[in-house]
Amino acid sequence: MQFKAPVESYSGQVREITIGKGAKALKIGGETTLPFHFFDEGSIPNPPRFALEVWDMEPVTWAKWLLEPFKDVVSDPVKWAMKCAKDFAVDAVCLQLASTDPADKDTTPEKAAALTKRVAEAINVPLIVYGTGDEKKDVQVLSKVAEVCDGENLLLGPAIKENYEEIAKAALQHGHALIAQTPLDINLMKELNIKLGKSFPPDRIVIDPLSSALGYGMEYSFTLMERAKQTGVIFKDGMTQMPIIANLGGECWKTREAKESKEQGILWEGVTALSLLLAGANILVLRHPETLKLLREIIRRG
Amino acid sequence: MFIIGESIHIISKVVSQAVKERNPKPIQELAIAQTKAGADYIDLNLGPARKNPEETVQWLVKTVEEVTNLPLSIDTLNPVAMEAGLSICKKRPLLNSASGRTDSKERMLPLAKKYNTDLVLSVLTDRGCPPDVESRIESIMETVAYANELGIPNEDIWIDPILLPVSADQKQVGEALEFMKILPDILPGIKSTIGLSNISNGTPEELRGILNRTYMVMLGRYGQHSVIADALDKELISLNKGEMPEITSLIYRVMDGEEVDLSSLSQKERDYLKTTKVLKGETLYSHSWLEV
Repeated sequence: MQFKAPVESYSGQVREITIGKGAKALKIGGETTLPFHFFDEGSIPNPPRFALEVWDMEPVTWAKWLLEPFKDVVSDPVKWAMKCAKDFAVDAVCLQLASTDPADKDTTPEKAAALTKRVAEAINVPLIVYGTGDEKKDVQVLSKVAEVCDGENLLLGPAIKENYEEIAKAALQHGHALIAQTPLDINLMKELNIKLGKSFPPDRIVIDPLSSALGYGMEYSFTLMERAKQTGVIFKDGMTQMPIIANLGGECWKTREAKESKEQGILWEGVTALSLLLAGANILVLRHPETLKLLREIIRRG
Repeated sequence: MFIIGESIHIISKVVSQAVKERNPKPIQELAIAQTKAGADYIDLNLGPARKNPEETVQWLVKTVEEVTNLPLSIDTLNPVAMEAGLSICKKRPLLNSASGRTDSKERMLPLAKKYNTDLVLSVLTDRGCPPDVESRIESIMETVAYANELGIPNEDIWIDPILLPVSADQKQVGEALEFMKILPDILPGIKSTIGLSNISNGTPEELRGILNRTYMVMLGRYGQHSVIADALDKELISLNKGEMPEITSLIYRVMDGEEVDLSSLSQKERDYLKTTKVLKGETLYSHSWLEV
């Protein structure tokens, strides 16, 4: 008796979001089935997207094998971003405005915004921009970035429960998409999306549920992303149907394990990334270009 | 079902202050209010009762018994306080609670036999809270058997499934409900209770009531014997008395998966419908569940 594999079909859809403008435009999400379920009915119009993380200042804590691919450009964010776009086949660049941390360099919003614009204009891929997570500073920085980069259609974040209103307003006014971030809690994730949705279009939101590294809580991120994806695709909950971003590079490379050897670092980032892809991440932010290459190869072969 | 009034709780500032100062007035006011509201038991929750346990609990029991004839539920983890409280209650009290934890089986459980009280037994074990229906069953069968061997019959035992907040772990809400549904089959004659207000712990204050009331109705459908709850919630008392049959039947219909046309419902009915769907696990919980 021939085995006939069951084929499922779902009625929910992950929203498709476009970031970047003109020839740079990049589509994320849009699927009507579960991650990698090519055997089920439904479509997966966009493959997983990959970005590399670029800092607006030279990092002092990165392992030398992590800095190696960028060693000649690491003190110039524009050149660094250009190198990622040109040499490492990224879908997007993620600019981490680390220098705006008030506890560190406390770079002004104006300076950060001017740099962001230069980076955005220099590369031929869309730009993701992350603040440091400082509740108050991010409002000033991200609002200014939004204003100065009007029309670039950046993906800006993090907008959190404590400061989303102002950041969303600036994003809406200047035509950018928004990263809604909550601390590994699916109920708070839904709550923030509902609150945001009152003044900001849900189809311009990307969910960042926080990505933890292997051994440091990855399974929490995994189950959350999986649940969010299933709740959206199977149960059609509109407030969990946004594409998901896994900003995992920093989390992986700050581990003790990644600092022990290059091979271990790449594996740490790679295993975390692959796991979160399976859970439903639509766009991933990595640090090492070799991890990115490895993942594309795995997906290609699969 | 029986309502065990929860208002006299050491976490309340009013109560802990009154206990500290040995001021009977605020305690007695709460006891009277709960009695008038229609509670069937008054719970006295002392928490760990580390300071002067015997003297504190006995003062509380005497103070409350001055103004109400309702039986008391002595609610503490401290066996010394528990014994001191149970020993002087005028009416047959409720020992709230013992569990499958080794120290509880050895020190708390036997007090129910010694003082001839009713006994709340929770599903907790040395390994903590069982994560699903199966493990709750396993744990409680073992603990009840232990109690039976001490001479405590099922009829005197009230099982507590340990309820977690819907905002913390939505899945557990369904597990607890499923467990209560199965209980009469696995332990015939056994009674039940539950910390009802736990369901809404962490939810914005003004939205807690509807979560508590809806879950109570859902539990009631499966024969829940009692709840430890806010007796001062008039709508809760009313629902329990069967005075709101449309709401009760609406909740049952949603539990059964019936499609209900929202436009045919009043605002209140819509709220109960949405709340039932969340507690069923059909809708993912968020604090804004009534707005969506």
